[in-house]
Amino acid sequence: MIVLGEFSLWIALPVAIWGTAMGFLGGRSQRGDLVLSAERSIYAVTVLLTLASAGVVAAFLGDRFEYWYVASYSNRELETFYKLSGLWAGQRGSLLFWALLVGFFASITVFQNRRRNREFMPYVVGVLQGILTFFLIVLLFAKVNPFERLAFLPANGQGLNPQLQNYWMTIHPPTLYLGFTAFTVPFAFAIAALLNGRLDSRWITLTRRWTLLSWFFLSVGIIFGMRWSYEELGWGGYWFWDPVENASLLPWLTATAFLHSVMIQENRGMLKVWNMSLVVLTFLLTIFATFLTRSGLLDSVHSFAQELTIAYIFFAFMGSILAGSAVLILYRLPSLQSENRIESFLSRESAFLFNNLILLGAAFAVLWGTVFPLVAEGVTGQKITVGPPFFQKVNFPIGLALLALAGIGPVIAWRRATRRNLRRNFAAPVIFGAVVAAVLAAMGARHPLALTTWGVGAFVLFIIVTEFWKGTKARARIEGEGILLALYHLVIRNRRRWGGYIVHVGIVMIFMGFAGAAYNVDVRKHMQPGDTVEVASPFGHSYTLTYEGLSVSVGRGQRNLQWQAIALVSVARNGKQIGSLTSEKRQYVTSEQLMTEVGIRPTPLEDLYIILSAVDDLDAAVNNDPKAQGVDLQVLVKPLVNWIWYGGLILAVGSLIGLWPSTERRRVEDQAPSEEPAVAGAV
Amino acid sequence: MKIHGRFMIGLVGVAAVVSYLVWTGVSETMVYYLTPAELMAKVSEDPTFKDVGVKVSGRVVQGTYSRVEGKLIHRFEVQDLMDETQTFWVEFRDALPDTFTDESEVVLEGRLGADGVFQATTLLTKCGSRYEAAPEDLVG
Repeated sequence: MIVLGEFSLWIALPVAIWGTAMGFLGGRSQRGDLVLSAERSIYAVTVLLTLASAGVVAAFLGDRFEYWYVASYSNRELETFYKLSGLWAGQRGSLLFWALLVGFFASITVFQNRRRNREFMPYVVGVLQGILTFFLIVLLFAKVNPFERLAFLPANGQGLNPQLQNYWMTIHPPTLYLGFTAFTVPFAFAIAALLNGRLDSRWITLTRRWTLLSWFFLSVGIIFGMRWSYEELGWGGYWFWDPVENASLLPWLTATAFLHSVMIQENRGMLKVWNMSLVVLTFLLTIFATFLTRSGLLDSVHSFAQELTIAYIFFAFMGSILAGSAVLILYRLPSLQSENRIESFLSRESAFLFNNLILLGAAFAVLWGTVFPLVAEGVTGQKITVGPPFFQKVNFPIGLALLALAGIGPVIAWRRATRRNLRRNFAAPVIFGAVVAAVLAAMGARHPLALTTWGVGAFVLFIIVTEFWKGTKARARIEGEGILLALYHLVIRNRRRWGGYIVHVGIVMIFMGFAGAAYNVDVRKHMQPGDTVEVASPFGHSYTLTYEGLSVSVGRGQRNLQWQAIALVSVARNGKQIGSLTSEKRQYVTSEQLMTEVGIRPTPLEDLYIILSAVDDLDAAVNNDPKAQGVDLQVLVKPLVNWIWYGGLILAVGSLIGLWPSTERRRVEDQAPSEEPAVAGAV
Repeated sequence: MKIHGRFMIGLVGVAAVVSYLVWTGVSETMVYYLTPAELMAKVSEDPTFKDVGVKVSGRVVQGTYSRVEGKLIHRFEVQDLMDETQTFWVEFRDALPDTFTDESEVVLEGRLGADGVFQATTLLTKCGSRYEAAPEDLVG
């Protein structure tokens, strides 16, 4: 199985090269036989990549430590579940996994379009095979072959880093990768449109659902990563503005811009060059993220090995994609002219454009902060860095502007908003937002940025709820349906619009959760058993935590665990006992480094979060010395942090509604663009 | 593509605001990222540099780590990765990350005090093997 997998990788490369050539040749010469061959080569490469991936998984399951990759990421004691996830535990497997996902999505695309959209398919297949060729070259020639053998046979593997042995970490990378790879399909269609000259909004309509799918996985993947960081990394936060986190945020920002700007092209025939550029940019950023996540180019807590060969290959690939796309766009510039122009500053087009500009501004700021150390070193010879304060400073105002647009965009009129339209749509929400902010201020919330965020969030929520209410009421009246049925039909008939509004609600929740961090409480104390610490919540109540003592268990539980030192803390709220929390230090068999497991008591309004920072004399404690009980405890109160996870859930539901295949495809597609954004259609 | 004049002002406005935010953000939050040797050279060149907040990466000198009994105050010596004679003492008043050992490579943020002790406000450990073992480790 393993040898077959390795062999498959070598066969896949010539097949992929063949497919690339046949796709482009077939497109140019309009020869159906060549195109068919290219399409079949996609299936072939996907099967071969599946075999190769199965080979890697088999090597993990069979404890084949003669393979460098298996020896570095697994050991005999590792649970089967984590052995299965070995495929994406490290750089080598991840690259193969990436290629596998592209192959998988490419096969779906070829199958869906086996009889439709034939004018696009030759080039689509050519581009997709070209991308697969690139990844196969990297896998085989950039010293990252997952099947590389060691010169000797180790008795056991190094084991998987304990911090990665967490369920969030098992699903976070593949979810992100699904997001990155799904975006190759819109990119392939965009390039195909540039090549075949069909530059109306057809390619956008065809890939709408792919874009949304990619966006869905990216969003969910990012939130999974935040959740992992919050639960597992033991520092109480969820976002560190680490280069790798930033790398996953960048394509999300540009993909979000693209999701919005395509609506202008569909409705008003504008922004064609812009949309092309956004697709190319987003695709490049997904490649950049893939590369950055698994290289040690920038100092990062996620960094893996320092491999320069692969850096050069990736930069060459990204450079040629950029140059090729730029040439194509310039060549097609005459056909990419706008059919309309923006008529008014106060219009939906304009709101969308500002949304785009601001998202790109945010992407630029994040990119700049991420690569700044490299640029500064190159220019001045001095290594200079910027940290989380930079990103926070820059992104707070940008984020607030975006949040406001999430409310303005859905209700401002297309073309030209009249004064009446503005007053009718915005007077009540603005007042509502101001009242919410005022009430919160009266209740004691004084942090200006947090207050503004909550006020603006309330403004957006008011608008969206009103939209739902108006739509439902109108439908109930016209169709004579009950309220719930009317709401259901309303959403079903125009999934993209109403799904999008639900996503906006999720975003508002997430932002409100971020703003809660302004009221984080952080208390540290050195404690002996029986000591208590008092922590005041910003919501007015107080917690009393009593350290009950340390208990050590040796060699129990998970197979990889050597010992755990568990601190037990009982918790009282306003003097009334409400339960207990534990936080522990762990030592795994396979890792020299300690692990901290935090204790979290979640409630809808706030989390009580404890971290066992240090044990005075860990060696004595592990040897059950009853006197070695002194510990350092960190207690955090994290207001509204759960709103981030709730918001993520709402966002996921909203995008799934937008993604769900429409049963009324034809009817909906025939509708002329109305006052609403266009509707869900066929992929 | 002809765009409304007022619209153009809006576009330029957004670009200007973002640039302004990035510019001020960088100039207000940037820190020098130095090696111990570079830090020492800078300080001997210009003694006022002691008050500038910097980021320094180096290696903890084995056996120098100690902790003030019952308090979260850690002291240890850090040396340059290239030039082991370049060292300085560090005081760090917070919980150490789990990855810290007395031979870790660390990235410190803080400033060198007048007494020559580096007061670190943040401490990150840096190791290439954080999630991946170096191949040569397997041999041992």
